[in-house]
Amino acid sequence: MATQANSLSYAGCNFLRQRLVLSTLSGRPVKIRKIRARDDNPGLRDFEASFIRLLDKITNGSRIEINQTGTTLYYQPGLLYGGSVEHDCSVLRGIGYYLESLLCLAPFMKHPLKIVLRGVTNDQVDPSVDVLKATALPLLKQFGIDGESFELKIVRRGMPPGGGGEVVFSCPVRKVLKPIQLTDPGKIKRIRGMAYSVRVSPQMANRIVDSARSILNKFIPDIYIYTDHMKGVNSGKSPGFGLSLVAETTSGTFLSAELASNPQGQGAAVLPEDLGRNCAWLLLEEIYRGGCVDSTNQSLALLLMTLGQQDVSKVLLGPLSPYTIEFLRHLKSFFQIMFKIETKPCGEELKGGDKVLMTCVGIGFSNLSKTLK
Amino acid sequence: METKDQKKHRKKNSGPKAEKKKKRHLQDLQLGDEEDARKRNPKAFAVQSAVRMARSFHRTQDLKTKKHHIPVVDRTPLEPPPIVVVVMGPPKVGKSTLIQCLIRNFTRQKLTEIRGPVTIVSGKKRRLTIIECGCDINMMIDLAKVADLVLMLIDASFGFEMETFEFLNICQVHGFPKIMGVLTHLDSFKHNKQLKKTKKRLKHRFWTEVYPGAKLFYLSGMVHGEYQNQEIHNLGRFITVMKFRPLTWQTSHPYVLADRMEDLTNPEDIRTNIKCDRKVSLYGYLRGAHLKNKSQIHMPGVGDFAVSDISFLPDPCALPEQQKKRCLNEKEKLVYAPLSGVGGVLYDKDAVYVDLGGSHGFQDEVGPTHELVQSLISTISTIDAKMASSRVTLFSDSKPLGSEDIDNQGLLMPKEEKQMDLKTGRMRRKAIFGDEDESGDSDDEENDEISEDDELENGSSDEEAEEEENAEMTDQYMAGKGVKRWKLEELEEDSEMDLPAFADSDDDLERSSAEEGEAEEADESSEEEDCTAGEGGISGSKAVGEGSKAGLSPANRQSDRVNLEKSLLMKKAALPTSDSGHCTAEEAFASEDESEESSSLGAEEEDSENEEAVRKKLSKPSQVSSGQKLGPRNLIDETSDIEDLLKEEEDYKEENNDSKETSGALKWKEDFSRKAAEAFLRQQQAAPNLQKLIYGTVAEDNEEEDGDTQEELGGLFRVNQPDRECKHKADSLDCSRFLVEAPHDWDLEEVMNSIRDCFVTGKWEDDKDAAKVLAEDGKIYGVFSNLETNDVHQGGLDSDTNNELSEKEIKKEIIPNEEEESKKKKKKKKKRKLRNIFDQLFDEGEDKYFPDLKIEFQKQEQLNRAEFEDQDDEARVQYEGFRPGMYVRVEIENVPCEFVQNFDPHYPIILGGLGNSEGNVGYVQMRLKKHRWYKKILKSRDPIIFSVGWRRFQTIPLYYIEDHNGRQRLLKYTPQHMHCGAAFWGPITPQGTGFLAIQSVSGIMPDFRIAATGVVLDLDKSIKIVKKLKLTGFPYKIFKNTSFIKGMFNSALEVAKFEGAVIRTVSGIRGQIKKALRAPEGAFRASFEDKLLMSDIVFMRTWYPVSIPAFYNPVTSLLKAVGEKDTWSGMRTTGQLRLAHGVRLKANKDSLYKPILRQKKHFNSLHIPKALQKALPFKNKPKTQAKAGKVPKDRRRPAVIREPHERKILALLDALSTVHSQKMKKAKEQRHLHNKEHFRAKQKEEEEKLKRQKDLRKKLFRIQGQKERRNQKSSLKGAEGQLQ
Repeated sequence: MATQANSLSYAGCNFLRQRLVLSTLSGRPVKIRKIRARDDNPGLRDFEASFIRLLDKITNGSRIEINQTGTTLYYQPGLLYGGSVEHDCSVLRGIGYYLESLLCLAPFMKHPLKIVLRGVTNDQVDPSVDVLKATALPLLKQFGIDGESFELKIVRRGMPPGGGGEVVFSCPVRKVLKPIQLTDPGKIKRIRGMAYSVRVSPQMANRIVDSARSILNKFIPDIYIYTDHMKGVNSGKSPGFGLSLVAETTSGTFLSAELASNPQGQGAAVLPEDLGRNCAWLLLEEIYRGGCVDSTNQSLALLLMTLGQQDVSKVLLGPLSPYTIEFLRHLKSFFQIMFKIETKPCGEELKGGDKVLMTCVGIGFSNLSKTLK
Repeated sequence: METKDQKKHRKKNSGPKAEKKKKRHLQDLQLGDEEDARKRNPKAFAVQSAVRMARSFHRTQDLKTKKHHIPVVDRTPLEPPPIVVVVMGPPKVGKSTLIQCLIRNFTRQKLTEIRGPVTIVSGKKRRLTIIECGCDINMMIDLAKVADLVLMLIDASFGFEMETFEFLNICQVHGFPKIMGVLTHLDSFKHNKQLKKTKKRLKHRFWTEVYPGAKLFYLSGMVHGEYQNQEIHNLGRFITVMKFRPLTWQTSHPYVLADRMEDLTNPEDIRTNIKCDRKVSLYGYLRGAHLKNKSQIHMPGVGDFAVSDISFLPDPCALPEQQKKRCLNEKEKLVYAPLSGVGGVLYDKDAVYVDLGGSHGFQDEVGPTHELVQSLISTISTIDAKMASSRVTLFSDSKPLGSEDIDNQGLLMPKEEKQMDLKTGRMRRKAIFGDEDESGDSDDEENDEISEDDELENGSSDEEAEEEENAEMTDQYMAGKGVKRWKLEELEEDSEMDLPAFADSDDDLERSSAEEGEAEEADESSEEEDCTAGEGGISGSKAVGEGSKAGLSPANRQSDRVNLEKSLLMKKAALPTSDSGHCTAEEAFASEDESEESSSLGAEEEDSENEEAVRKKLSKPSQVSSGQKLGPRNLIDETSDIEDLLKEEEDYKEENNDSKETSGALKWKEDFSRKAAEAFLRQQQAAPNLQKLIYGTVAEDNEEEDGDTQEELGGLFRVNQPDRECKHKADSLDCSRFLVEAPHDWDLEEVMNSIRDCFVTGKWEDDKDAAKVLAEDGKIYGVFSNLETNDVHQGGLDSDTNNELSEKEIKKEIIPNEEEESKKKKKKKKKRKLRNIFDQLFDEGEDKYFPDLKIEFQKQEQLNRAEFEDQDDEARVQYEGFRPGMYVRVEIENVPCEFVQNFDPHYPIILGGLGNSEGNVGYVQMRLKKHRWYKKILKSRDPIIFSVGWRRFQTIPLYYIEDHNGRQRLLKYTPQHMHCGAAFWGPITPQGTGFLAIQSVSGIMPDFRIAATGVVLDLDKSIKIVKKLKLTGFPYKIFKNTSFIKGMFNSALEVAKFEGAVIRTVSGIRGQIKKALRAPEGAFRASFEDKLLMSDIVFMRTWYPVSIPAFYNPVTSLLKAVGEKDTWSGMRTTGQLRLAHGVRLKANKDSLYKPILRQKKHFNSLHIPKALQKALPFKNKPKTQAKAGKVPKDRRRPAVIREPHERKILALLDALSTVHSQKMKKAKEQRHLHNKEHFRAKQKEEEEKLKRQKDLRKKLFRIQGQKERRNQKSSLKGAEGQLQ
C-alpha cells in the first residue's frame, strides 16, 4: 500500500499535538524532524512523551518510532480504540494539554472513552479543566455529541509544580457529526466563575471573587462566582489558587478567561485581588474579541466542522489565534480542506473587535472505528 | 331504424345499487335518516378492550412509521453529470446494436464503432453516458459500481443466462442501480402464443430478481440490422424521464468514469527506459461527491494513486443554454466519445485537439466550430501562452476602465481571491491591489518597497515603517528599486502612447511568451543600464524621480499617487508577515483596516486600475532584471488563471481578428477589459488578507527547511545560521491559549463602551429589541373590535381620547360596508395566524420529530446550494473541491507502463475517490454468506477475490462464527445456509459497505461465479479469532480423588499458567489443575470429583488465537495485454497447486476406508432362574413342552403290509365308493335341474295368475266406472230437468 507515500513531514516540536491528532483522524502517517535539534537539551520533553504514550493507549495498532536523541518522531496512526483508560500526565503541563486533544479524538473511538487523567488541573500555560468543562463541552454538544455519559469531572485539584489532580472524562461515540451554523453569538446574559484555592487559606477565593466582581459589575448584574476550596487528599500536592470566568450568551455560546497563581517557588507571590481583577480584564478582552467560540476552542470547532457531513458549516469567530492559524494550515494539508474566511467588520455597534466568519464544507468524515452490529 | 328499437336505459328502482344511490342522495341532501354509524351508535364503537385498542393503535403507528425513510440532505448538484447507462448482456444479444440505435435516436448520428463510454445530450436537462459491459466479470463488477441505470439485455429466444444473474447479484451488493430489462430476439418466435408465454415467464422471473413490476422492454425484431425506430424511441423516452435514487456509496465517494486518456510522460524517459512509470491524464465527468486535489484515488484494475493534479475543463457535451423551447435543435444534440474518435474539438489544459477525420455530416452541423478550429490550427503559440501575454495588452488599455468601473465597485460583492494555482496545486503568492497581500514574499522585497515608499513620501510616510525598516535599507535595494521606479514611469508614458494604437500591441500576442520576453529584455536593457547609472546615489535618484514627475503630465501624477498608495499598503501588509506564522489575526485585521483606509484615501478606483496596468507592464522587465521581484510575475499568472475561462472565447476571436485590425476587434477588447477589470475589482474587494495569511505563506515552509542554506566551512563544518523566524516557529511552546498582547485599559470609559452591546444590558438590534418588538406586538394585538356593535377599541389609548373615538365610530358607520368586511377578513386572518402559532407552540403532538428533521435537512440543503453559488468556479473548487458534474482532467503519476501500453478502450477506467484512511490497510471483519447458487463451500485460508468499495483484490480470509459469549471461533469451512464471519487483512473500507467474493476472475467458469456476499462490520488493527485446542495427559499415580498427571505440559512454568483450569476425563469426571510437580517435567497434581482409572485420558479445552496472513493483492486486470484482460490470475489455492503439480495429499492411514469384516456374533441362551420362572404368569413362562416333532423310532408304529386278498378287497371298496360318489353327484345335479324347472314352471303359473287377476280387475273397474258415470249423468240430468 501507499501508506508511506502519503506521509507528511514537519520540522520542530511546535504544534505536535495538532499534527498527531490530525494524523490519527486522517490516517496519514506523519514524520516530525528536528525536535529541538538545536537546543541544549534536544528531543522530546517528558510531557510530549507522555502525550504520545496517551495516544498509544487510546489507539490500536499505532506505530511510533523515535530516534535515539528524540529529535525525530515517526507516527503511523492506528485506529482509535477508546474504552477505559487511565493516564498519568506529566506535571510539566496541565491536564488541559492532554484533554484538548482528547476532546478532538473522543467522539471517533470504537468504544466510548472513559479516561482518568492525573496531573495538574490548573496552571498558567494550558487551558484549565474548569474552562474546558465550561466551554468545550457545550461546543461539542452543538455538534451532536451529547448524552448522559458525556461529562468531565474534576475529582481532585492539583496545582503545579506538584500536581496530584485527577479528572474523569467520558465521551460517547458518534458515527457522524451535525453541521453547525453559529453565526449569531447573542448577548451575554450571565457570567459565572469558579474561584478555587488549594492548600492556602479559603479566604483567598473570597478575595478573588470580590475583586473580579468589582470590575464585571459595571457591565452586567448577573454574576455568580463559586468558590471551591478543596481539602485533604483532593487538594493535590502544591498550594495555589486561581479564577476562571465564563460568560454565557443568550444563544448558548461561552467565552472564558482564567488566571492562576504562580506555582510555588516560581515568581513573585500574587495577590488574590490582583488576580481577580486581571482575570476579569481578560474576560473583557475575550468579550472584545467575541465570536461564537472562545479563543481557546477555535481549533476544536474548526476541526469538528471539517469532520462533518458534506454540508456547509459556518462559525463566527473572534480574531484567529496563532494556534488556530497553524491549525487551519494543518487541516489543509491533512484533509485538503480550505475555509472560506470572511472578515466581518464590527461597524458602529459596540461589540468589540472585528469578527471572522469561517465557512467550510465538511469532508464527509465517518467514524471508521465504530463497530456495526 | 334499428336505433329506435333500442331500449332506453332505465334506472334501477330496486336492488342494492339503487338503495345505495338513494342513500347517497339523501345524505347529500342531509335528510338521511341514518347518520354516521359512529354517532348513531356510539356504544358500538366505544373502547371494549384496552388491549385491543392498544394493539390497533400500535399497528397504525407501525404502518405510519414504516412509510418513513430516513431523511437525507440532498446533495445533488444543480447541473448533474451525465447519467451512466450500462448496457449489459451476454454475448450476441444485441448490445452494440442497441447502443448504436440509442445514439442514433438521440443525436441523429450513426457511430459505426463504439469504444468506451459515449456521452450524448438526450434532453434539455439530461445527458447520458452509455457504456457497454461485456461478460468479463472484472468489467461487470466495475461498471455495476458506477452505473445509474442498467439496460439488461436478455435473449428471449434463449432465456436468462448466468451473466444476467451474476450481474444482478453484483448490483445488489454494490447498491442497487435502476435496472431495466430489454428482451431481444423476439422475432425468432414463430407462434404468437409461445411468444406470449415466454414473455410472461421471463417477466416474472425478472420481477423476482429486481422487484415486482420492474420495467421489461420488448424489442420485437430487427429491420435492416437495426431495432425498430418506434421501440427505440420509446426506450429512449423511458430513459430520459427515469428518476434515480441516490446510492450510499456513490453519493459519498467521488468518481470519474474516464472517457479519455493521454500519456504525458516525457518521451525521453520512455526512450531511455520503455518500462518507466508513466504520467497520464484522464478525463471525464466527476460524479458522486466533491473531489479534492491531492486526494487518494483507486483505479480498479490498476491500483492506488494520489491525484497529482486536477483541473476542470469546459464541458465538451454541455447542456443547451436556454431551456425555454420544447425540444433540442440539431446543434444541441451533441455526442462526445473521444475513445471512439467522436467529439470534434478536445480541450486540454494547455492545448486543443481537433479531430478532422471523416464524418462530413458532423462538420455541417458545427459550422462555426469548424471555423474556429481552422483559426486555431493556424496559430503559432498555444492558447495558454497567448493568455499569459494577452494580459499585458489588456491592461495597457486604460480607457475602458473608466467611471463605469468605479460605479461597479460599490455594487460588487466581496469575493475571495485565489491563492492556489488550481492547475498545478501549487501555492502561489500573489500580489494584488497595492501588494497588500505579498505576505509570502521575502523580507528583502518588502523592505525594498517600503524604502521606496519612504522616498516617495519624502519623509511624510508612517513613522512605524521607518523604525522597522530604516536599518535594513541598503544600496543594493536602492539600486533595484531605482530601476523599478524608472521603468514604471517609462511604461506609464508608453501606455499613454499606446492607447490609440491598441491593435498594434496585439501583435505581441502572436509571439510566444519567450520571444516576447527576450524582445522586451532587449528593449529595456538599455533603459535599465541608464537608470542604474543614473541612480547611483540614493538621495540623488530620489530627487531626479521627483523632479521628472513634477514636470510631467497629470497622468504621471496619477501614477505617482498610485505608487504612493501601493507602497503604503505594502508596508501595512508587511506587518503581519514579519511575524512568520505566529502573526495573529488581530494584526491582520489591523493591516486590513489600514489598507482600506488607504484605499479610501486614494478614493479613485481609476487610480488603482492604472496602477495595476502599470504594474503589469512593469512585471516582465523587472523579472528579467532581478530575480528577486517575483511578486508581479506571480500576479500575472494569477490573474491569467482567474480569467482563463472568462476569456477563452475572446481569445479565439482575437486570433481571427487581429490581422484585420477592425473596429470590431477594438470593441470586443473594450468589453473584454471591462470584464477583466470587474473580475479584478471583485478580487480586490474581497477580504483577502486573512486567507492569504493563513493559506498563502505556509506552502514553502517545509521545503525551505529541507534545503538548508548553509555554507560549508572547510568541508567539514557547516555554518549554523538559525533562521530566527523558523526557529521561533518550530520549537516554541505548543499552547492553544491566545494570549492578549496589547491589553486594553478597561478603566477607560470608551474602552468599556466598546463592548457595551455584547451584553444583554446593551443596545439590541432593531429586530430583537424588546421594546420595539413589544411595540410591534401592540400593533398586532392592540386593535380589538366588538363585532356586534362594530366598536373598535384601540389599545394604548387614554380615556380622554374617547371623544375622538366616538366621532370616529360615527364616521365608520358611514363608511360603506365593504371596508368593514375587509377588516373582518383581516381580523379572521390574524386570528387564524395566532391560532396557528398557538397550535405550533402547545398543540403539536408526537409527530413533530420527523417533519422537524426534514425541515432541518431542507434548510441545510438550501444553505449548501446558496453558500458558494455566487462564486466563480475557480474559487469554488478551492473550498468545496471539484463538484460533481464538472468535466475534469486528472493527472496521475507513477502509473505502471502496462496501463498505457495495454490500453483497451473497451474496458472502463474508473477513478474512485477514497475517503480518509480508506487508503490504509488493516483487518476487516465482515458478515458473509456463501451464495446459495455457488456449488462449493469456501475454505478458510484459501485465497479468494473480494470486491469491496472500489477495489477488487485477492486476499486470504478466515471464516469464523461468534459464540454466545462473544468468542470468535475459527471455522474451517463456511456453513452451507448460514451467515458466518470473515476476517481478512486488506484495505479499510467503511462499515456497512457491501462486498462480494469470487474464486477467480480468469477464464470461463462453468457455474455461477459469485461465491459469497455480505457486508463489512468492523475494522481493526488486531483480531481475536481463536480455534479450539485440546491438551491431553495421562494419570501416572492415582490416589483417592487426586491424581498425578503427566504429558499435558512440557514445563512447570506452563503448568503455573494453567493453575486452577478445569480438566476432564473422557469418561466425564471433572477436575482441576492444582500444582506443578517437580518430576517428571510438566507433570502436575490434579483433583477430581471421583477416582480415576489408570486407563482414563485427561484433557483440557483451551483456545488458541490464530493469525491472519497479511496478504493483499489488488487485481490488476487492466494491466494485462489487450485481449487477455480477463485472464488475471493471482495466488492459487493449495488445492489448485496440488492439482497442477500432481501432488497428492498423503492420506492418514486411519482415514482410509477398508472392507468391512464382520464376525459372527454368538449369543448365549437365555437363562431364567427357577424362582422367577415360577413367579411368571403362564403366558411368559418358558414353555417346556417340546414341539410335536419327529416321533422317535421306538415310538413309531410299524407299517402295515396287506395281503393280496386284502388288497383286492380294498381296491374293490375303493372302486365301489368311487362309483357311489359318482352316482350321488349325478343325482344331485339332476335334482338341481329338476328344482330349477319346477321353479320356472311355478313362476310362469304365478305370472299367468297375476295377469288373469289383472284383467279381471280391469274389467271390474271399467264396469264400476261406467256405472258411476251413468249415475252421475242421471243425477245431472235430473238437476237439469228440474231446472228446465
